[in-house]
This record gives sequence, structure tokens and C-alpha cells, in this order.
Amino acid sequence: MSKLTYEKPTINKIDFAMASKYGSPIHTQKIRTEIDGISVNELTQKFGSPIFVFSEKKMEELYNNLYSAFSSRYPDVQFGWSYKTNYLNEICKVFHRLGSCAEVVSEFEYQKARALGIEGKDIIFNGPYKPYADLKIAVEEGAKIHVDNLFELDDLEKIATELEIVIPLAIRINMDIGVYPQWSRFGFNYENGDAYEAIERMYASKRMKLVGIHSHIGTFMLDANAYRNATTKIMQLKEQVERDFNSEIAYIDLGGGFASKSNLKGVYQSTDVVIPTPDDYAEAITNVIYDLNKSEKLPKLYLETGRALIDEAGYLLTSVHGYKRFPDGKKGYILDAGVNLLYTSTWYNFTIETDRHYEGENEPSLLNGPLCMNIDIIEENISLPPLNRGTVLSISPVGAYNYTQAMQFIRYKPAAVLIDRDGNARCIKEVDDLATVNYKEV
Amino acid sequence: MQKYALLVTSVLKPYSSLLFLNNKYVGLLLILITFTNPSVGLSGVFGVLFTILFAELIEFKESYLAQGFYIYNSLLVGMGIGFLFSPSLISIALIAMASAFTFMLSFMLNRLFSTYKIPILSLPFSIVTMFIYLASLKYSNLLSTLINNSTLYDIQLPLIISGFLKSFGTIFFLPTNIAGALILLLVLYFSRILFVMAVSGYYFGITIHSYLIGSYEQALYDPYAFNYILVAVALCGVFLLPTWKNYILALIGVAISVMLTDAIAILFSYYSIPVFTLPFNITVIVFIFILSITYYKEFNLEIKSTPEESLSNYLSRIFRFGKTYVKLSLPFSGEWSVYQAFDDTWTHKGEYKYAYDFVKIKEGKTYANEGLYATDYYAFGESILSPVSGHVIAARHDLVDNIIGEVDRVNNWGNYIIIKSDSGFFVEISHLMQYSLTLKVGDYVETNAIIAKCGNSGYSPEPHIHIQAQYLGVLGGFTQEFCFSEYVQEDRLLFNSVPKKSELINAVIKDRSISSRLHFILDDVFEYEVYENEKFQESVVFRVKMNTYSQFYLEDEAGNELYFYNDTKQFYFYNYKGGESHLKWLFKLAPRIPFVSMYKIHFVDYLPVYLVKSKLKSSLIEFLATLNQNVYRQERSYYFDGKCINSVYGEVCLAPTNKALTLISYNKTQLRRKL
Repeated sequence: MSKLTYEKPTINKIDFAMASKYGSPIHTQKIRTEIDGISVNELTQKFGSPIFVFSEKKMEELYNNLYSAFSSRYPDVQFGWSYKTNYLNEICKVFHRLGSCAEVVSEFEYQKARALGIEGKDIIFNGPYKPYADLKIAVEEGAKIHVDNLFELDDLEKIATELEIVIPLAIRINMDIGVYPQWSRFGFNYENGDAYEAIERMYASKRMKLVGIHSHIGTFMLDANAYRNATTKIMQLKEQVERDFNSEIAYIDLGGGFASKSNLKGVYQSTDVVIPTPDDYAEAITNVIYDLNKSEKLPKLYLETGRALIDEAGYLLTSVHGYKRFPDGKKGYILDAGVNLLYTSTWYNFTIETDRHYEGENEPSLLNGPLCMNIDIIEENISLPPLNRGTVLSISPVGAYNYTQAMQFIRYKPAAVLIDRDGNARCIKEVDDLATVNYKEV
Repeated sequence: MQKYALLVTSVLKPYSSLLFLNNKYVGLLLILITFTNPSVGLSGVFGVLFTILFAELIEFKESYLAQGFYIYNSLLVGMGIGFLFSPSLISIALIAMASAFTFMLSFMLNRLFSTYKIPILSLPFSIVTMFIYLASLKYSNLLSTLINNSTLYDIQLPLIISGFLKSFGTIFFLPTNIAGALILLLVLYFSRILFVMAVSGYYFGITIHSYLIGSYEQALYDPYAFNYILVAVALCGVFLLPTWKNYILALIGVAISVMLTDAIAILFSYYSIPVFTLPFNITVIVFIFILSITYYKEFNLEIKSTPEESLSNYLSRIFRFGKTYVKLSLPFSGEWSVYQAFDDTWTHKGEYKYAYDFVKIKEGKTYANEGLYATDYYAFGESILSPVSGHVIAARHDLVDNIIGEVDRVNNWGNYIIIKSDSGFFVEISHLMQYSLTLKVGDYVETNAIIAKCGNSGYSPEPHIHIQAQYLGVLGGFTQEFCFSEYVQEDRLLFNSVPKKSELINAVIKDRSISSRLHFILDDVFEYEVYENEKFQESVVFRVKMNTYSQFYLEDEAGNELYFYNDTKQFYFYNYKGGESHLKWLFKLAPRIPFVSMYKIHFVDYLPVYLVKSKLKSSLIEFLATLNQNVYRQERSYYFDGKCINSVYGEVCLAPTNKALTLISYNKTQLRRKL
């Protein structure tokens, strides 16, 4: 038996609140030993720490659940994979294999989609900033362009004149859907008539025609009714345009913003309680389309869900590098991953799980990242048993945005691993090194 | 012209009604047969005509008359007078009086009786003739025309056959074996079931009677033995379905009527009143009263023109649409597993046995991790969908969701909702998540709409959905048997079934686009181009029409009618009238189109026998179905991928966005929708 290490004595409050008369059914430690059958320790040993791990199985499950909620109610639904949510090539490939087209918001993302073999017609080009040269390429390649502002319309008219074509376009609109703050920065406003004027402008030029209407009402929408309102306004505009310009609006795009089962800070109920189910969203949207559709044909329905399809499929594995006792008695752990990799930690409380059961009482602890910055805190106050150096913590759900927004700051950007459907893990992105960071520096 | 046609029908229908048939040609033949005794024939016609005249006088609605329903009693009264007195001015005047009275009495009794769902049968006739016969004892002027009908045109036959035929003829006041034989042939032609019941009823009654009175011969001579025939036919074939069980009931009825006939005969003979159909009326009315009030299962709820048709209609209905009207949709979407079925191990017992518990399962477990938190359970937080359309009549959602391992023994139903369905029964769903209810009491909810989330409140060891149907809308009400209208198991779509314990089933979410593509409106016209072997032949047109019962049908140029219904969950055809046609094929090609597009599914349907068999074979099958209902089962498999339905018969396809079917294809024939 090895000698016990000395630890400075502290007094900790022990919480019995959750215990019932049958004892405490609530285990006080959250444990994750494996992801899709592969031990978290094995993953860090083999691929390094910290590391992002993505489960293809979970991605498929999330996709199928959401897709079937819509396709069972509506005959013509198309998902567009929101590249900004996670544009690791292998991740994009999974969603394309499942049937998604691409939804991009910059020339870089557009190029990435093209490089992955996605044809122009299967790319939805969104966003407020579309450089002229790239817009022209997108037009030539037949991409679905969702117009954001009048300057862009001018650009498009010029391109159309140059190419001597009529460009089919979709328009991004924003509106009051009863959820505040209102997202009014993107596209044209519906209520004040900007959207309709822009459409008039399109038809006046005779170089553009409207084939789609798009809105994206926000992110992490906790009320499915917001989509009901948005769809209502889109369908109203659709009818108005079809009548006034004798045209056919072939598709409507409700954007994304469906919530994942992630704990938003400041929301204290369980995610199961507050997060709408796929059925909630699907029912809200499709019922309105059926009720308000006035034309012979039903419009194709596009959705650009990102978060709800990947967030719960992503984990960040990080190891305990050391710990210290702060003057206030709180225990502080130093981890090898920090806010440089967890951009969304500002808004969400993650689930943090240990790699096995640890003996000892839980005590309030602080999780620090490796950055030499005071703000590098992943969790301010988490109840954890005494952990050793080398303990692997799983942080989830982190599939959405965290990888794409991870910073190369102080440390190298970490590797990413995909566990495929057969339960085999493979590296899909290696850890950066000096050459990657120095590349293009002159 | 139309008015005359209606008049002719109004005159003919009552004749066939006397044999419980509904066919004007039967009526015509029967009129002719009644004229074998001209006095009876003529008086009968007078009875009917006077009634129609009287109905005209009081501006009675024509549509009532066309049914023949209010007239056959007058017809009987007329014939009854003609049987007693040869036609004279006085007797005709008597017929006029009696007809008007009988007509009114029929209407009045029907109004009173219909409250209890019992038929008037020939009770008005029995009452009125009783009065006439009593009164006529004093009418010496009339008595001069009294006729003796005893031996009119009889042929030599053994008594045992002659007695039966005579009894049969007596129904039409023609107590001769020739008339009886003619009527019997008519019955045999139109309905074998009626024929068999007539024969068995008669001889069973005679046997009982002969044992009671001690003489077989005397029993055969009994002029009122026709009551046995009528009782047997009414109880097994007309008001009750022609089944084995009802056959026995009919024989019991016959036995009762034997006793009633004798009793009434003794009483009535004091006043020289004939018994006529009174025993039949009493027996059948008593039977129908009790059987209808107790919701007897083999009651014939939809009386068609022959017992064969009634049975065929009934069997088609139960095979295709299930025996119970208490049908629910699954209260969830996606794949779930049955945790407790009907009459199960733990709580679904006794009066509470008709309930289902559902949980979500992945890789054999209902939870992720160790299942220590309610949130670990896959079912927790899933949407609960309304299983019916109806009003919310009670609900609660303030109870907390239990910690795993604890149950709420006080509020064992937990958070709940009770919905009164549009069909009248109640549905209760329990263990909802706290504060997840999206509706309030009084709200109307459509099938499949999201009503709450699955939780763990009440007596619930782990998050699950509990659902039951109830007779009453109170919490804890006794449960009622039900079935699920549709669900998918593996690649099969099942209708009106119940899953077994531990089975994995998928809910069917209605794709409204299919329903709207089959939403046919009156006078919609669908034009098709017919190709044979890829060669254009002709254009045909199907038009949407509606009959007086508000039933919709497709009609082609030849006047063939294909009846359809657009239910909330499926579109189906249910009746076809006419000869060989594209429409007849269409029924076979797509007897129903479920509003399901997400799965590629196989399903079975049961076609009416007349659709797939020759006329002769159909009548044989319909007759045999009284002994074994399974011979009627014409099971066919269909495969539906959301766009086309394939079967051994061919294929029909829906257009992705346009209304109606775009392709109807069978053998080498193709009908292509012209747009």
C-alpha cells in the first residue's frame, strides 16, 4: 500500500438535499467511461488530450429524428447543413451522406462546400457579406442565393446583365415573431414593407425573379410558436408575391435555430422540460404551410439546422494537469483545455463527467483552462470528488460551434476524432503544430 | 314523369317490404301473384293508393313514401279487407278509411318506437284489422259480400309441404299452395338465407306446436303458422345478422311465438278476430328491444335490401375497419415499445385492464447512462400527441415528476388529461411532465396535435405514457376496450390492431399533403386518357357526385358508381355499384390510401366479395359466410411507398403536388391523368 499523500485539511458542506426516504438515488458523481463503446482514456491515450470527439451514430440519430418529424408530416423537406456550425470536412460529409445540401455564409465556406464535391445548385448562399467576385461565381454555378440587402441586389443586377441571364433568387426577410430581441439585422424587414419593395425592385429590373423566401428567426429558440408566426408571415408574403408578380415561389426556408439539449445559463429546469421536441417544431411549421397554402403546389421546405443536429454528438475530452487549493478553500483544477476551445461556455452550462468513480466527498471546485488569463474558467462552481492528475473529463454537448470557433491562442488547436457507425475511432483532424501556425507568415 | 316513377316505386316497394326485401321488381311480381285472388289483389292496390292519396293530402314528404316504409301496413289492411269481403263500394270505402288510419298509426308508432330503436313491423296492421273485424260483426250490409276463401286453386301435394306453402301464401292473404310456391321461388331467387330461415322457422315451430297439442297434422293445418316464418326471418337475417348464434335465437323466438299464437287465438276467437301477425310482432319487438338496448354485438345496424347484403356489408366493415368504434391514434411519434398491454402483470387489471403503457427503448434499455435520473430516460420529455379529435374535459399538470425510485401513491394518475372524443368515448393519458400541458379544459384538439410531454408524475416507476379509453369522463373511470387505428410494425402498416407486450411499434403521423390531394369536391372532374398496350384508345371522365344520403362517389360516363370516404387518417373506397369498369378496377387497385409517406409499407385490405368473384360464386360465398365468416375474407396485399400503391392487380400513383391519382394501371390498360 502506497503512502497517502498529505492534503491540507478543509471544511466542506455536504449536501443531502436530494436524498429521499429510500436513501439517495441520485448518484453524486456524473461519470462517462466511454463514448460509443470506446473508453475515454483510450481515446486520449491514442489521440492526445485535449481532443474533440464526434459520434457519427449520434449525428445520424439526431438527423433522422428531426428529419422524420418533418418528412412524416410534409412531402418535400430538404435539410441544408449549416457549415458554420461545424465545417470539419468529415462532419460535413456525414451530413451530405445523410441527405443534406450545404448552407454557407461566406466565400470560404462556399469554396469548402465546392471542394467537398457539392454542386452549386445544392448550395444555399446566405449571409450579409458576399464579395462581388464570389457572388458572381455562385451565380454562374447556379447556387441558391439568398439576398440580404439592396447593395447585393445591385451587384446581382450587374452580374445578370453581364451574363445576360435572369437570376432566380430567394430573399432573406426578418420580422416580428413575438420573440425578443428581434433579429432584424439580416435581410429585409417584412412588416415595414422593405421586403416587398426589394421584391418589386427585383422584378422591375427584369433580370431577377423570386423563387424562394427565407427567414432565420434566431438561435436556440425555446418556443416552437415562434416558428408558427414566422411561417405564417412567410406564407403570407408568398401568396402576395405569387399574386402580384404572377410567379411561383418554389421553396421557403425557415433557417435554423432549433435548440439542442444544452443547458442555457439562467435556465434552471431540465433540458427535457424546456427544449421543444422535433415534433413541436415540425408541427408548428407544417401545419401553417398546409393551412395557408393557396397555390396548386406545396412549396419545398428548406431547413438549415446546425446545432440541433450536431451539438449532442460532440465531446471535448480534457485531462487534469494539476490542482491547487485557493485561499477561500475552494479547490481549483488546471485542465489542458480552456475557453480557447469552448467558445460557447459563456452561454451554456456543460455537462462535465469524470472517467470513473472517485472515492471521497464532493466539494465545490473550479475548473480552469491552460491559458494564462484570469477569464479562462470552464466551471466556476462544480461539485466534484477529489480528482487525480490525468483524470479525463468529458465536456458535452460541444458539437456545435465550439470546434469552428476554437481559437489558436496560447496553445495549438487540438485534434478531432470521429467514431464511425461501426464504433471505430479515427482522427479526422490532427493537432496543429508550429508549421501550421507559421504557415503564410512572411 | 319523375313523379310517376316515384308513384310506381311507392306502390311496388311495400309489397317487397312484406318479405323484408327492398326491390321494386319483387314488388311487381308480388302484385301479380296477389291477383291470383283478385279480391285480395285489388283491395291491396286500393289500400296502397288510398294511403298515397292521403299522404298527398296532408303534404307528406315524398321521400318518406318512396321507402315504402309507412305504406306496407296499409297494404296489409287492404288485403285483409279484400280477403274478407269481395270488392264493393262499401268495402272500398272501408279500405279508404282504414288505410288512412293505418298510415297515421304507422307514423305515430314509429315515432314512439324509434326512441328505443325498435321497428313497428306490422303492429299497426294487427291493431287496425282487429278493429275492422270487430266492427264488421255489426255491418250486416258488408256481410253480404263476405267471401269464402277456403279452397282456392290448390294443387295436390303432401300435407307436410302443402302446409308450409299455404302458410307462406297466407302472409299475402293467399292461403293456397300455388301462391305460396310462387312467393317461395321469389324468395329463393333473391335470398337463400331468407329461404333457409323460412323453412327452418316453419318446421321448427310446427314441431314444437305438434308436441304441445299432440297432433302433427293439426299443427300443419294451423292457419297462423306463418308467424313462425316471419319470426325466424326477422330474427336471423333482417334485424339480426345471419349468424349461428342468431339462428339459435331465431329458433327460441319461434318457440315463443308458438305459445303466443295459441294464447292469442283463444282470446281472439271469442270475438271472431283472426290472430294474423300479432304473435310475430310481439315476439320480435321484445327481442329487438332488449338486444338493441344491451348493444348486442350481432345486431344488424345497417339493414340492406337482403340478408346477404347486410351480412356482406357487416363483414366488409369488420374485416376492413375493425369491430370496435373506439379507435385511437398512438399518442406519440417515432418508435416506442409496449411496456404493459391489455390485462397485464402490474396495474392493467380488472376494470382497468384496457390500458397501454409505452416506453422508448434503445439497445434494449429505456434509459441512457445508469438510469438514475428521470432525464436519463428516453421517454422523458418526448411529445405526447392527441390520440383523438375532441374536447379536453379535465386535466392537471401541477404535480412534480418523481425521482426515479419513488412513486406518488396519493395522486396515482399523476398529471393527466381526459379528452372526450368526437365519437363519444373518453381517453385518459397519465404521468405527464409537470407544467408541460399545452391545452386547457374546454379546448378542442385535433388528432396528432401535441398536447403535453411525457413525464414521471403519479404512480410511475419510470417515465412512460399511460393511455386508456373510458366510458365516463372522470378520473379513474372504468376502462373500455379499444384499438389503435394505425401503426407500423417493421415494414407493415396495421389497422385497428393492438400491439403485444414488448413489441416495438412506430406511430403514423398524418401527411396532410396526401389527404389534400385526395380531397375530392362535388363536381370535380378528372379526365384520363386510356392506353391499351401503350396505344391511345379513348378519354374517360370521372366526376365527383353525392347521393341523397350525402355519400360521395366517383361516377363514370356509363353511370357506374364508386363510393369513397376521406377519413382523418386514410382515404378509402367502400362500395361499388355497376358492371365491369375502370372504376371497379380502381377499387381493387387501391381500396384504401393511408396518409403515410415516410415509410415504405406493406398492408393488407379485404375486398368485398362482389368485387372479385362472379355473381354465382359471390352468392355462394355470402351464403356460406353465415356458417363461417372467414370464407368471406378476401385478403389482398398492397405495397405503398408514399407515391404509388402496388398489388397483384396493378398500380395506382399519386402526383407529388397535383390533386387526384395520376396513373391507374392494370393488366395492359393504363389510365393517365390529363391535366
